[in-house]
Amino acid sequence: MLSCSSHSSRATLSAFSHFLPTTSPYFNFSSLSPKTFSPTPLNFGWRATTAPKPRMAATFPARATAQPLQNADELIDSVETFIFDCDGVIWKGDSLIDGVPETLDMLRSRGKRLVFVTNNSTKSRKQYGKKFETLGLSVSEEEIFASSFAAAAYLKSINFPKDKKVYVIGEDGILKELELAGFEYLGGPEDGGKKIELKPGFLMEHDENVGAVVVGFDRYFNYYKIQYGTLCIRENPGCLFIATNRDAVTHLTDAQEWAGGGSMVGALAGSTQREPLVVGKPSTFMMDYLANKFGILKSQICMVGDRLDTDILFGQNGSCKTLLVLSGVTSLSMLQSPNNSIQPDFYTSKISDFLSLKAATV
Amino acid sequence: MNANGEAAKAVPELLSPQNARLLLDSTEAFLFDCDGVIWKGDKLIDGVSETLDLLRSKGKKLVFVTNNSSKSRRQYAEKFNSLGIAVSEDEIFSSSFAAAMFMKVNDFPQEKKVYVIGGEGILQELQLAGFTGLGGPEDGKKTVELKSNCFFEHDKSVGAVVVGIDPYINYYKLQYGTLCIRENPGCLFIATNLDAVGHMTDLQEWPGAGCMVGAISSSTEKKPMVVGKPSTFMMDFLLQKYHINTSKMCMVGDRLDTDILFGQNAGCKTLLVLSGVTTQAILQDPSNKIQPDYYTSKVSDFLRFI
Repeated sequence: MLSCSSHSSRATLSAFSHFLPTTSPYFNFSSLSPKTFSPTPLNFGWRATTAPKPRMAATFPARATAQPLQNADELIDSVETFIFDCDGVIWKGDSLIDGVPETLDMLRSRGKRLVFVTNNSTKSRKQYGKKFETLGLSVSEEEIFASSFAAAAYLKSINFPKDKKVYVIGEDGILKELELAGFEYLGGPEDGGKKIELKPGFLMEHDENVGAVVVGFDRYFNYYKIQYGTLCIRENPGCLFIATNRDAVTHLTDAQEWAGGGSMVGALAGSTQREPLVVGKPSTFMMDYLANKFGILKSQICMVGDRLDTDILFGQNGSCKTLLVLSGVTSLSMLQSPNNSIQPDFYTSKISDFLSLKAATV
Repeated sequence: MNANGEAAKAVPELLSPQNARLLLDSTEAFLFDCDGVIWKGDKLIDGVSETLDLLRSKGKKLVFVTNNSSKSRRQYAEKFNSLGIAVSEDEIFSSSFAAAMFMKVNDFPQEKKVYVIGGEGILQELQLAGFTGLGGPEDGKKTVELKSNCFFEHDKSVGAVVVGIDPYINYYKLQYGTLCIRENPGCLFIATNLDAVGHMTDLQEWPGAGCMVGAISSSTEKKPMVVGKPSTFMMDFLLQKYHINTSKMCMVGDRLDTDILFGQNAGCKTLLVLSGVTTQAILQDPSNKIQPDYYTSKVSDFLRFI
């Protein structure tokens, strides 16, 4: 059972209050200098998680440094299931990463269960199934767990009443999954065309039957949707605020990074001064769901991903083995940076290393 | 507990004929927030005009300090005039002005550009201060193509991204600002303010800068420098014009965590009005740690008490 991590509005303010003067009642501006004001990093990825366990790095002794994967066979033999992230692991944008089909085939031939868990909520499981098919991979819908599906599955798991509606700030994938789960939704891409006029006498109405607002990546993001979602969360008693994920940036095309779902969620967290319930990685909701569904022990799982603060943290929160691949957003220097406290068990350049490393040990 | 960690002040006093008189006599300048105090959207709150006249007639200086960065000081003066209130540009301190001044005092190089996620007001103030602004309301019309052969370009000479309230927010702007902050070395991230919601129209509250700033904070994983209330950055400019001790100033506002905190941080007296975002219930809730010196229903209560 997920608990919603709620931050008071004080927390939001204090996070930004470092600019306030400490000794003098007001700033002596002659003492300001450009150096004083370099923005400090904010670790949103962690703060947002609603994983039942507290932050591993803070409560357990520091993990051993990640080891380069050398004996692939040993890792493969030690687990029953491989969970793969998709962007940066299987594909980049619409291009398959080298050696992926052969690697997946090899794992299947060795009796391993394969599961694909992605924070990308723009497509439904069915739509992802088609993407896999187009890329020549045989993966069934039941093996895919997108955060769009997670949102619908979460609502199902809490018996979200069927007479309540869901307002969606996000794309088609979320709408399709909600429909499949039997929930009534409002919003989605259509609301991207709606405009508002901030004129006297204008009142924006909102449906009082909305019992949950689901927020995910939304390329059609606009002020109308922000206001609609904000009104629902602030004014409809008990209205849930659910985030599919909080990824800061994402590789929507293979050429560059793009502002991710985290930015839409950050916008709503800013206007409502509430923290959402996160169903995607690193929250373990999807891990618990599939472990339960397939009847597998988490110790029998290896999580393979390219992002430390979602994929690897997800694996660690779920007590699985973790393997970082450097074919996506994380480089070796980022992994080894003193600023990084998330250490996977292993790292390797890409998943097809399973084939080459395996060959090397023969 | 105020932001400096001092012990909680006494419970705020409800404004009455007795303490209003005392307040008036001990105050030389009244600092007014605008949204929820003077107007709501484009509608003046009842009795404001007469109250401001009264205060001026008593020799009080009037200053307007607003976190709403959608207009420049000049545009605000025009708004006041259109509502029948005579206010000059230099009596107004908007967060749009604050953002431009921040760049100036930090010697932001003039050959660098500023990307603006916000209103015309920010662009105007930047221009007045001699800086080159990109973005603003115009970028509200731009769309994004997420195709593998489409590369999203951004100007590498952008040295700062300024974020304020933006009803024309869209993915193009989020992506542009994100790339500048993440990829242009040393790029500053400045927020005009963090207000979550505000009375952009008379009938309801609307998402404020806190929303747009939250979006960019999340995609860049960085905290911004905040130039608007409760930061006292603007106070320096106020003091340059009005050589009055802050203890002889009274900050009048509708929001505890910006207006009242600003006043307290600057050493002013503080008066909360309940005509905007804060209700008596919020003020008196045990979780509220910000106690103004006084509170009253609206600014025009002065007319009854004086």
